[in-house]
Amino acid sequence: MPTFTQEAIATKKKKTIELVGVDLYIITDKGVPQFTDGEFGPFKCEFISNRGTKVWPGFVSPDLLMVNWYRCRFIATTPIKDHEVADFLVQVSKKWEWSAAQKLWNYDGEAGYSKAY
Amino acid sequence: MATHVVTMIPGEGTGPEICEAVRMVIDASGVDIQWEYADIGLDCLEKYGTLLPEQTIQSIAKNKVALKGPTTTPIGTGHKSANVTLRKVFDLYANVRPVRLIPALKRPWDKLDIINFRENTEDSYAAIEHMVSDEVAQCLKVITWPGSYRIADFALKWARDNGRKKVYCVHKANIMKMTDGLFLEAFREAAKKYPDIETGDIIVDNCAMQLVRNPGQFDCLVLPNLYGDILTDLCAGLMGGLGFAPGANVGDNCAIFEAVHGSAPKYAGMKKINPSAVLISGIMMLRWLGEKAAADRIEKAMYQVLDEGKTVTYDVGGTAKTDEYAQAIIDKMRAETK
Repeated sequence: MPTFTQEAIATKKKKTIELVGVDLYIITDKGVPQFTDGEFGPFKCEFISNRGTKVWPGFVSPDLLMVNWYRCRFIATTPIKDHEVADFLVQVSKKWEWSAAQKLWNYDGEAGYSKAY
Repeated sequence: MATHVVTMIPGEGTGPEICEAVRMVIDASGVDIQWEYADIGLDCLEKYGTLLPEQTIQSIAKNKVALKGPTTTPIGTGHKSANVTLRKVFDLYANVRPVRLIPALKRPWDKLDIINFRENTEDSYAAIEHMVSDEVAQCLKVITWPGSYRIADFALKWARDNGRKKVYCVHKANIMKMTDGLFLEAFREAAKKYPDIETGDIIVDNCAMQLVRNPGQFDCLVLPNLYGDILTDLCAGLMGGLGFAPGANVGDNCAIFEAVHGSAPKYAGMKKINPSAVLISGIMMLRWLGEKAAADRIEKAMYQVLDEGKTVTYDVGGTAKTDEYAQAIIDKMRAETK
């Protein structure tokens, strides 16, 4: 008789996984980070959020509280491999201090990451 | 020119009939308000392609104050909640939810008079979630010093301004030492400015038990987003349900007042729903606008109508329609001023 744990493991569904980008958490006291297209090869900044609220692009309330920690979502414009993420981080590190990077994957074509408000 | 211009967002389902009843009562209180109507919700999807049209955002940005009826957030459609978007866009960091005994609801408590101050923008509601493998999901719980300090400061000032005596910080800092520890540390720092207010802290699980056992011991509570979400509904349950549960989402320069309950679409157009939660939210709005006399007048009349129990809605044992209940409150106000 299988245990609950064994039953649970057996229910796992195999998914197709595709690396599509990186969430990079940048620390800066100089306001919302700015990037230029092509600066980091195939990685293009899609949005920047602060405390989960989108601060670029689009409308930002002048009242919005911002801290010195920005989530910058970079989505690749071409298919990418792990070593390109490593190269991207080397390039980013030359200009920015960052606390963490989280790779973004699609699972069976569905985004495995949340949008920002 | 009216003294105040307020954005009125009737919302969906029973929202429009509730808001119309509330507008009637507020207008009859003698306060001079020009209502600017704005749309929100599923109907806007077809019309504007979004749940929250730009015109609505611009109206609130201009007027700095809104009264909002209930809306429906579609589940699992990929649309962002219009309510959450409003709180984020205008940085409405303080969710103020008072609960108090309503005699008509006949609850077993001797005393229930709590104001909850829920931090509204951080915690695990920062929308930072990832599938970090095909079988593991993570959600970042984000707590910041300024975000924590300002809700504590806001709550303590509100308490002082409204004659409250005791403010407690709710947390789980014994386990989440960094995040909840920071929230508690910021609360203690802010509390130094208010030596006249009794302050303290309580662990969230103990707080839940104490609320159910003896809610009369609490005065004001300051909570991070997730604990606040849960315990404020618990408090509404202590009061007898969401029919009388008002709410305010307040920022530094803007505030949106709304009921906590949903839009009850199956009752739409039947004028069956109790508008009290939106009405009490409206009373909170009037006080925020500085219209204390009008707020007191409506509140007194509403409790008189509820105590008499003759012209009340079905949820409190009556047969009155939404607008008949509103008219009874208006009649009481007029009788008082004769």
